[in-house]
Amino acid sequence: MTELTITALPPAPLNAAEIWSNPAQVSVRCQAALGFALPGMGQSAGSEALKLLRYEPTVWLAEGDVAPLAAVLAEDGAITAIGGGIVRVRIAGAGWRALLMQGGVFEAEAAAFAPGHCAATVIDHVAVRLFVENEDACLAYVPSSYAAALMHFWHDVLPLVGAD
Amino acid sequence: MSAGPSRISPGGETVTFTFDAVTYCARAGDTLAAALLANGVGLVARSFKYHRPRGIMAAGIEEPNALVTVGEGGRAEPNTRATDLFVYEGMVAKSQNAWPSLSLDLGAALGLASPALPAGFYYKTFFGPAKRWMRYEWLIRRAAGLGNAPTLPDPDKFAQRAAFCDVLVVGAGPAGIKAALEAAESGAQVMLVEQDAVLGGSLHRDPDPECDAAWIAASAARIAALGGRILLRTTASGYWDHNFLTLTQRLAEPGAVPAHGFAQQLWHLRAGRVVLATGVIERPIPFTNNDRPGVMLAGAVRTYVRRYGVLPGRRVVIAANNDDAYRTAAALIEAGAEVLAILDSRSSSTADAPDGVPVLYDARPTHVSGTAHRLSRVTALVREREQSWTADLLAVSGGFVPVAHLHMQAGGKLDWNEAAQAFVPGVTHQNCVTIGAAADPVPATPAAPAGHPKKSFVDFQNDVSLADIDLAWQEGYRSVEHLKRYTTLGMATDQGKTSNMVALSRLAERGHVSVPQAGLTTFRPPFTPVTMGLFAGAGARNAAAHERRLALYDLHEARGPVWQPLGYWFRPRAYTLGSETLAEAALREARGVRTSVGLTDVSTLAKFEVSGPDAAALLEIVCATTVSKLAAGRGRYTFMLREDGMVFDDGTVWRLAEDRYLLTSSTGGADRMASHLSFVRNVLRPELRVSVVNVQEHHAGIAFAGPKASTLLAGLIGEAPPRHMSLARAVIAGVPVLLLAASYSGERAFEIYAEATQAQPVWRALAAAAEAEGGAPYGMDAMELLRIEKGHVVVGGEVDGRTTPRDLGLDKMLNKAGGFIGANGLQRPALSEPGRIELVGLEALGGEIAEGAMLIGAGGGAPQGHVTAAGRRVIEGGAIALAHLAGGHARRGEELTAASPTRGITTRVRVVAPHFYDPAGERYRD
Repeated sequence: MTELTITALPPAPLNAAEIWSNPAQVSVRCQAALGFALPGMGQSAGSEALKLLRYEPTVWLAEGDVAPLAAVLAEDGAITAIGGGIVRVRIAGAGWRALLMQGGVFEAEAAAFAPGHCAATVIDHVAVRLFVENEDACLAYVPSSYAAALMHFWHDVLPLVGAD
Repeated sequence: MSAGPSRISPGGETVTFTFDAVTYCARAGDTLAAALLANGVGLVARSFKYHRPRGIMAAGIEEPNALVTVGEGGRAEPNTRATDLFVYEGMVAKSQNAWPSLSLDLGAALGLASPALPAGFYYKTFFGPAKRWMRYEWLIRRAAGLGNAPTLPDPDKFAQRAAFCDVLVVGAGPAGIKAALEAAESGAQVMLVEQDAVLGGSLHRDPDPECDAAWIAASAARIAALGGRILLRTTASGYWDHNFLTLTQRLAEPGAVPAHGFAQQLWHLRAGRVVLATGVIERPIPFTNNDRPGVMLAGAVRTYVRRYGVLPGRRVVIAANNDDAYRTAAALIEAGAEVLAILDSRSSSTADAPDGVPVLYDARPTHVSGTAHRLSRVTALVREREQSWTADLLAVSGGFVPVAHLHMQAGGKLDWNEAAQAFVPGVTHQNCVTIGAAADPVPATPAAPAGHPKKSFVDFQNDVSLADIDLAWQEGYRSVEHLKRYTTLGMATDQGKTSNMVALSRLAERGHVSVPQAGLTTFRPPFTPVTMGLFAGAGARNAAAHERRLALYDLHEARGPVWQPLGYWFRPRAYTLGSETLAEAALREARGVRTSVGLTDVSTLAKFEVSGPDAAALLEIVCATTVSKLAAGRGRYTFMLREDGMVFDDGTVWRLAEDRYLLTSSTGGADRMASHLSFVRNVLRPELRVSVVNVQEHHAGIAFAGPKASTLLAGLIGEAPPRHMSLARAVIAGVPVLLLAASYSGERAFEIYAEATQAQPVWRALAAAAEAEGGAPYGMDAMELLRIEKGHVVVGGEVDGRTTPRDLGLDKMLNKAGGFIGANGLQRPALSEPGRIELVGLEALGGEIAEGAMLIGAGGGAPQGHVTAAGRRVIEGGAIALAHLAGGHARRGEELTAASPTRGITTRVRVVAPHFYDPAGERYRD
């Protein structure tokens, strides 16, 4: 029997950082100010204080303290708070990849979807964003209104992936 | 030795099941068909049209006769093939389409009327006077169909999941297993799917010493060890574009209680390459009464003997046009049966018949006879002389048809194989290959049918005979597609798996053309029937979607409201008290807003933050009103147009800061607005320096409305609230909030936004303040009463995609500088012509006005409009409504009839302005 836990995490400061111009220069400024460059599509970068995940061509999800990010973006982008509308759900255990295939369309079982990678996809008709924390855990950013239903869905299908 | 089917070596029957309320025992691994045969049951079903007695013909998914209903209550599954159903303890199976019993079916009298039920019967009944049809419609509908769909909800669940692989192998016979093993050894990620409950396919019928059970097990283990995935009871039912396939996996047998609640799983599979090892289906032979119990396909007979240890008959005649059927003779003799003769329609053969079995060439069966339960006699033409045998089983083989369904679904062509007299997979443009018997079927020689065409059945499931095909031909049906629809050939659950080629051969014969020239019908998904619930998946009970829950759900739920679905959201419709009706509660709540204060949850409104130097520029493309002139801290009503100038949504726009705006729009149009904004931002004007972020769920929203709202809010925030259409930031109950002074109710009102995770204390504080002043929460019904009285339009009601700003009386707000989406569309002359439907108000001259009612002029005639929303004056009473009326703006004062035949309400109404309450907007202001 696979061990698998599904846990809603406490609210976190989440922001959308949208860059409309000069992304390369913003990345350089990011490296200089925060110690890491802007991550590419499907990837993440960050520090203890701030993590950036890139799900869209022009938008990065920023988790953590975005105060220093405003200066990095300067006139090339803007930050908008979105954390009130997102529930972070941690799916931990060996079966998390199989669980995310349930009702999904994204190949969460691919080895290339490795720790540090992220993806935006749809699971059972709900738009979610995924971030691989480590080999045994994945974080799902779920719209708040769907969180209860989607967590119920995940618990419901646990037997299908060999977990209880 | 008694006649009829039986178990070869009784023993080991540990599973108990019932068929038509009779209890039987079976071996684990038996199909229902095998178990029934083992118990000597020959009669299993009645045919669709003539209620002819039917037995078991095949041993796989192609079975057209032995359809049963399995399971009970909501779990019952009708029209399940007994050959594709593995018995389980307690299984309850029932026959179908028979009354009062399977043995004594009064419906069989229809067989006597068969001359009156020819091909195209249904079509012919549609001709003539309608009155005639009205007479026999009831009878036809009663007679139509086989099993009955359950009326209770299905208690089981259905799952869907995605999967990816390098190589998908469909079919786990010897060719499929070898292909899967080879692909896995080469490093590919392999999936091997098999619709049966065991691997091996034809090896269970025709053992191969090199591919024995140990080889099968070792191969499966090796594939799994190399990371491959093997799925049993899984059918590749659909093959779509780009090597996308749908697999239906049975997690429990039909009618059985699933171990974890899930009955089936639908796999959405994307494969790099597909290998089809789908095998062949044996063709029956047409002759008189070829549908009787005891006439079986020769390969199926072999399967029952060797796989299930069941002997379908003791005295057997075999009729064939190919060598393969000779192997059935060998299997039967091994099992102790007596093979009376092999009737080979060919003039000679090199096939070896078992010792002592006479082979008669140029021999074709002409008819069989027996009881409803059992065969007793087989008659054939042997070199044009009639000869008969006393036999309880006739095993037939008219050749083999490759299972090319998936190949064709994939867009592949079929080639004619003259030697096999069958279509085989040809070229395909997808990365797909067919291997094994499906690519290289056993040669077979065509033979002209002997027997009476009327009783020589081609499509067993639909009771279509050779005579029906002949009649269709005589009546001019030349295209096989027309013939199919006229005769119902190849329809229903088996989709012609055993009948198509026999029918094509007859069509070709009648037209004096080759089979390929006669044509071919198209194979479409699904390959075998799929339960509807599987398509719906986990959301089968919830409109295939999850319920969206408000951030304030718990607080609402504690008040026990009547919940109302709104899209996928559920919102309080009204908070009924005591024995209040919904209407009474709504009116009480609305009056509270008019006289004191009320609060309601408006969190579901669409909300977007638009920021950046070009934010106003983008909004002036999306919104049809001016935006850039808004001062920071101010807001305004706005609406959006489609390219054709029709209003498609409305809301408010607020300037939060110099280069940051908040745009709100309707709940129901939220997703559409998000797409629209994305299109404008990313496609139309990607050069703009602007960010558009959907913050619908980030903020929970509470509307606080009523003559006391401003005073109460001032008490909560410690300062004067913003004036109408202004905004301010404040703190309520320790939570930072954004106050937008806007009104939907017609009263002084505020929309109060807090981060959704912190909104509950805000609601509690507002509710406490309101209730201290006699106010209360209000729901959607009260909101509807308030907005109708105020004359505010709603998307989906007055904004229905057919109305321009002018039609709705919004044209004075249009941005005169143009440049917005829809500006050019509005210039079309037709949009300014008189007689367009326009928004008006209606006052009842007595009685209620029905929502949706048609508006009829004094002289009757065609409807001139309809009621879009009906309500009542909240304080004074009296029915009022908003409506679309042709040329409505110029018809104020006119009296009309609002008639709703469906609601049975007809009311005289007067056309008035659509603003019934405070038209000057005095009450918005302090």
